[in-house]
Amino acid sequence: MIEFTVFFVFAAIAVIFALVVVLHRNPVVGALSLVASFFALAVMYVLLEAPFLAVLQVIIYAGAIMVLFLFTIMLLNLQHREEPATRPIQQFLGYTSSALFGIALVYYLAKYAVLQLPSTPFLSDARRVGVTLFQAYVFPFEAVSILLLAAIVGALVLSGRSVTQS
Amino acid sequence: MIDWTDVGLSVLKIAIILFFMLNVTPIMVWVERRGSALIQDRPGPNRVGPLGLFQSFADALKFLMKEDVVPSQAHKWLYTIAPVFGLIPAMTTIAVVPWGRAFRLPSGRLFEPIVADLNVGILLIFALASLSVYGVTMAGWSSSNKYSLFGAIRSSAQMISYELALTLAAVSALMVAGSLRLTDVVWKQTGYFVLFDTIKIPAWNAFSPAMWLAFIVFSVSAFAETNRLPFDFAEAEAELVAGYHTEYSSMKFALFFMAEYMSMATMSALIATLFLGGWDVPWYNEPPTALGFALSALAFLLKVGFLLFVFVWVRWTIPRLKYDLLMRLGWKVFLPLAFVNIVLVAFFIVRGWI
Amino acid sequence: MIPTHWFLILSAILFAIGVCGVLTRKNGITIFMSIELMVNAVNLTFVAYARQFHQLHGLIFVFFIMAIAAAEAAVGLAIFISLHHHRDTIDVDEANLMRW
Repeated sequence: MIEFTVFFVFAAIAVIFALVVVLHRNPVVGALSLVASFFALAVMYVLLEAPFLAVLQVIIYAGAIMVLFLFTIMLLNLQHREEPATRPIQQFLGYTSSALFGIALVYYLAKYAVLQLPSTPFLSDARRVGVTLFQAYVFPFEAVSILLLAAIVGALVLSGRSVTQS
Repeated sequence: MIDWTDVGLSVLKIAIILFFMLNVTPIMVWVERRGSALIQDRPGPNRVGPLGLFQSFADALKFLMKEDVVPSQAHKWLYTIAPVFGLIPAMTTIAVVPWGRAFRLPSGRLFEPIVADLNVGILLIFALASLSVYGVTMAGWSSSNKYSLFGAIRSSAQMISYELALTLAAVSALMVAGSLRLTDVVWKQTGYFVLFDTIKIPAWNAFSPAMWLAFIVFSVSAFAETNRLPFDFAEAEAELVAGYHTEYSSMKFALFFMAEYMSMATMSALIATLFLGGWDVPWYNEPPTALGFALSALAFLLKVGFLLFVFVWVRWTIPRLKYDLLMRLGWKVFLPLAFVNIVLVAFFIVRGWI
Repeated sequence: MIPTHWFLILSAILFAIGVCGVLTRKNGITIFMSIELMVNAVNLTFVAYARQFHQLHGLIFVFFIMAIAAAEAAVGLAIFISLHHHRDTIDVDEANLMRW
């Protein structure tokens, strides 16, 4: 009973703030609405019996990635920029095609993706995730760390001013 | 069906914690002003009540009655909501910290003095601490004031940099306990280290040599996380007027003020739990009775109080760190030290010395 | 217990909203945020199926997706900053030098 209420409330929050991201003019408002949407998704993860991932979602997505977005928006001073409206044909085609896509997906999921839940609870605490990560997935783990290093170096190189510019 | 006794006990625990957090600010205001006066060899506030004890009431009255000035160019919604974003993490992170020993009520029920004994306990604190960056950023940006924006960017960059060192330094204490729950961390520290077969030292993490680096890194990063001197360049009075809360007045400024003191209290509680044994009374095995609980809660309160006094003491003793030195310290000194400490603790655990 | 297909439907709705954002907007940062929304919808699907089949591999995969999305955000925002330095705009329609 309480679970269903929590699910509906936070699903509504996630969807509404996602719509604000996509539809609002100001990118700062969009970024903050995305943070709210991520928070609602973290609650969804708790409902799915994955509390470790829920806190990871808040720490990584809402706490680090979106701070990066906000910094970029603030430093580039993008909120005062008036974005020219998209061409009407692009808007029409974009809205209708994504709406059709969404409706088709939801319909087919509701029709074909109904599964019975197993009766045992799902044990997914940090210890098990950590053990699986370091036993079965140790190679992707190390590869992702090298990828992150490449991303850091790439971000530094791309955003620095070139030496030929005054 | 709903277990009403459980709900009642939870409400009682929340009330106690809320009482503690809301009272930290007035008490710390008095401690800060008298403590700074003590260090600077002057009397401090001594007019309002005996020893100036009612100064906090006078301050609260002033905050409530001041005119609330909102700059005309400010973004209305974000300007109003920014202090809330600063306050919520400060008030809710203390929910996972155990503040006393679990004891048996007369009915046989176990009373655990922790509001939310999560499996992923300490990660909740880091998650909500990352949200406090938004309060600072939104405050600075929505004030539409160059100095506020500047202070906000500096302050949030500092906070996200020191979050890394904070998290990694805490990982060593968690490795020893083998669990993310803070109750397990404290229980692991209730034993004793025996030196030379005679001297018994309480097995607090601060007393084991593998964790000294982590203790230092965590404590100093706690100063940086809460924007306290020697790391408060972002709100330095002489350079940036008042940083990200320049344009805030009366109650909204009071909310930022309260958020800073509450996060100081939470950080002190965290340092006490992770490194100083939490509610463990040294050299005494607390029995699971009401007396044991009371003694452990008192021990916890004394530790947190002492650490809060250290916060005030350091503020008025050490000069402010320049911003680039501050960032260099966070990235180039503390992060490597935290990593070294993790490797060291892992080595000690594998060899069985911890 | 909440049935798994409810979470899948929520994920589909979020994904469709993300697609709408990518197709309709011209502001580069907003397009990027819509992409993050889509990635999160997929994360939700992974976690829902991980709970359905009681396998930890779904959670591990989400862990990796979060790490990679962080790397992608860093590099993508660096590209946008560089575009802003050179063209003083982040309108993606203005990045048209290689268009035939």
